[in-house]
Amino acid sequence: MSDWEPKITAFLCNWCSYGAADLAGVSRLQYPPYFRVIRVPCSARISPKFILSAFRHGADGVWVSG
Amino acid sequence: MSGKPGNFSAEILKRPRFVDVEKCIACGACAEKCPKKVDDAYNQNLIKRKAIYVEYPQAVPLKYAIDKDHCIFFEKGKCRACEKFCPSKAINFDDKEEHLNLKVGAVILAPGFRAYNPAGDDTFKYGRLPNVVTSMEFERILSATGPSQGHIRRPSDQKSPKKIAWLQCVGSRDVHRAAHGYCSSVCCMYAVKEAVIAKEHAGGDLDCAIFYMDMRSHGKDFERYYNDAKEKHGIRFIRSRVPTIEPVDDTGDLILPHVNEAGEVEEERFDMVVLSVGMETTPEVARLARNLDIDLTEGRFCRTDTFHPVRSSRPGVFVCGAFQGTKDIPQSVIEASSAAAEAEVLLSAARNTETRRKKEILERREGNKTPRIGVFVCHCGINIGGVVDVPAVRDYAATLPFVEFVTDNLFTCSTDTQDTISRVIREKALNRIVVAACTPKTHEPLFQETLVSAGLNRYVFEMTNIRNQDSWVHKDAPDKATEKAKDLVRMAVAKAALMSPLEEAEVDVNRRAVVVGGGVSGMAASKALSGQGYQVTLVEREATLGGQALNLFRTWRGEDIQENLAAMVKSVESDPLIDVCLNTELGQVEGFVGNFKTTLTCKGQEHVVDHGVTILATGAKEFKPEEYLYGKDPRVVTHLELDRKFMNHDQGLKSVKAAVFIQCVGSREPQRPYCSRVCCTHAIESALYLKKINPDAEIFVLNREIRTYGEREYLYREARLAGIVFIRFSLETKPKVFVDGADLKVEVPDAALGHSVGIKADLLALATAIVPYKDEKLARFFKVPMNEDGFFVEAHAKLGPSEFASDGVFLCGMAHYPKPIDEALAQGQAAASRAVTLLSREKIRVSGTVAYVNPAVCSSCGVCVEVCPYSAPSFIEKGPFSGKAEINPVLCKGCGLCVSSCRSGALNLKGFEEGQIMAMINEV
Repeated sequence: MSDWEPKITAFLCNWCSYGAADLAGVSRLQYPPYFRVIRVPCSARISPKFILSAFRHGADGVWVSG
Repeated sequence: MSGKPGNFSAEILKRPRFVDVEKCIACGACAEKCPKKVDDAYNQNLIKRKAIYVEYPQAVPLKYAIDKDHCIFFEKGKCRACEKFCPSKAINFDDKEEHLNLKVGAVILAPGFRAYNPAGDDTFKYGRLPNVVTSMEFERILSATGPSQGHIRRPSDQKSPKKIAWLQCVGSRDVHRAAHGYCSSVCCMYAVKEAVIAKEHAGGDLDCAIFYMDMRSHGKDFERYYNDAKEKHGIRFIRSRVPTIEPVDDTGDLILPHVNEAGEVEEERFDMVVLSVGMETTPEVARLARNLDIDLTEGRFCRTDTFHPVRSSRPGVFVCGAFQGTKDIPQSVIEASSAAAEAEVLLSAARNTETRRKKEILERREGNKTPRIGVFVCHCGINIGGVVDVPAVRDYAATLPFVEFVTDNLFTCSTDTQDTISRVIREKALNRIVVAACTPKTHEPLFQETLVSAGLNRYVFEMTNIRNQDSWVHKDAPDKATEKAKDLVRMAVAKAALMSPLEEAEVDVNRRAVVVGGGVSGMAASKALSGQGYQVTLVEREATLGGQALNLFRTWRGEDIQENLAAMVKSVESDPLIDVCLNTELGQVEGFVGNFKTTLTCKGQEHVVDHGVTILATGAKEFKPEEYLYGKDPRVVTHLELDRKFMNHDQGLKSVKAAVFIQCVGSREPQRPYCSRVCCTHAIESALYLKKINPDAEIFVLNREIRTYGEREYLYREARLAGIVFIRFSLETKPKVFVDGADLKVEVPDAALGHSVGIKADLLALATAIVPYKDEKLARFFKVPMNEDGFFVEAHAKLGPSEFASDGVFLCGMAHYPKPIDEALAQGQAAASRAVTLLSREKIRVSGTVAYVNPAVCSSCGVCVEVCPYSAPSFIEKGPFSGKAEINPVLCKGCGLCVSSCRSGALNLKGFEEGQIMAMINEV
């Protein structure tokens, strides 16, 4: 499993988690480059359809954060 | 500072930061190369920073500064590493101190506080025992951005502690040495919070104990938090003052001897001790106060009075925050707005005299044509370019559908690049723009302005983050980072292709305010508005103005309330801009921010008021208890009834031999689990007054905890010195009150004595709870929430205490939470100041990112109407789509909750359309 590179779709709330991801950058915290962020105005915007669609398009994981 | 209110001349010393803030892009290259390590004061010196630094990652502005006292170049004349490596040439070693001379009309002092330093106090051996830390240090230890990334480790050996003790009142409520006699107001709650978070971080096996004198959880929802800490989180609360901390050999562990409530000496061993340090005014601020010629209190806070809570002794100089007195965040935020209101009134004649207008550029109607996308990829010096292969990302972008133009820039945000982007948009007829650079949270507005200047709609723009969320966090994986950047650009382009121009709705603002409630808070709000030239309709359901203050005798500072209140009522009644409507209630409310239409009912007569904003100041009332023989024996009275006796100079009070006060009557009970905040101070002030008019009276205050926060603590001390006896009881050992023959008797178990104390009382004063009116009709009219106790719920517990989440509706006074006059008055001014942010505009323009309905698909289920916290959706009343939902774009905050909740797919969110998000998902 060690060389497995998962593909993760991340839905981040603009006001909290997206800002936190920015701060992680300012603090130069290092993490694996496997997720791709879709910025949403609020986690409330995330419809179950998005999560299913992400899996249908080959995501190994979906991360909803808000 | 010289001059008069409205026309001061202030001399300001501006220290050099040696970094040009216009040029600094906060890339951090300077700090990385700087060879000098310095104690990091923000992290309480637990770790090091560099001599060139930003104080903390969230700093605003996010710009570096050189610490001259530690910089090698300033010490030894050589180094200049930062200058060499700065990609934007922002370092300026020749930066000089500046003496600015400012012409200002008003001054607001908000210098804050510093934490008490316990190093000089032998009791705690702070500085000698490594595992004794201050609460400020512990905050950093708990923080994800702190020295241990939020893992709790004790300093001596970096082990995870299994037992932590907090010691309260370190430097506060202590008249010895360099400590302070006042209560710091915030330490109880932060200690509880630290203990709860520590347990959450550490998991189940961490034991937390808080040693305290009185647990002061007198803020909104604080008592519940305290109860949960005890009951749900298992935090131990031990009522005891710890006299010393003893080390256990070289283990790093610590022994805390203390006397328990039964009077026995106990010892307990802990791995770590946190000192809950209090607040104090710094000597620098005290010096500033001297320079400005403003009076300080005994505790070195800015002197104010109850009826002018943010005015210093010098006219035109206002104060807010911890320098006004120890306080927590919500109260500081309230005072900040209150001080702003005072300044606004003082300067209202000058409003809009120095505004500058932006040149408006006509928007080209290009948006709906076939997408022609321009992609700009930023190197950000070496910040992105040093990791991500920017030219490769650029070339990749050129292969994507609809992309007509690509380029890379050293700094996409620089002024000359803005000119380039603007020119390219026109030359290449671009109609969608993608920027791959830093973060939209800081730079989106800048690029949107560039679009606007090129005649494009600001919403045909998408920014993707290849710095903060890519190059900075994948430094060691440049190939993967480049791959990620390509993916992110592809996703952004896919979304951009589906974008269209959005419109920003505009509404006119009616300049009148309706204030509901004519107590001190509502009157303060009305005066703060009329003082700025706005018309106010002040609605009061009773026949007189004044509210609960009409029942109160004196403030804790000894000021006469009736005299001050009468002056306030008179100034409101004689104010030509305030239309006072007594005996009046609200019959109906229509409309929304900027355009409310309210029907007022007065003695059967109705009239309609058009207004732009509403302030709810409906107050609260005294709880009438059924216990302690209240209503059955004339000697048993409430605090307000006792105040009435004081005001009437009741001669009976002079013959009282023994008076008993019982606290928390109806407050802090299971059915009403909140603290009424004012009663402890009120009881003590009444007890002291009684002692003054009747020095022979024996006075007992039966309490569960005394909560005389801030400098009110002096009053508690004065009462004990005056011989007033304080006896504690608990919820389980409440006092018993009964009649024995002609005598009224009070019996209370005294834990310290180990048996019950019986008192024959001639007067029994009950500190009854403050209860809200729970006006559900009003809540419905303005679509504002109430909590389970019946108090209105503000927009944000800390940062938005005087406004509702719904636009245009504001909140103040006891309808928010029980509070004394000074705080109610400050919040009235605060609500007015918040309201003026709307009233001062002719039109309100709202974001284009709003939800919209396709009525043909809407099934009229009403879920959107139900779920929206801002009341933006409603049912259409007339026409072909009657019964279908519609969204008021003025109220919509664009969160998308209604959209994802809609079962029929009738709703969508502009700027974050379903198709756009799906397109991004496709491209991940």
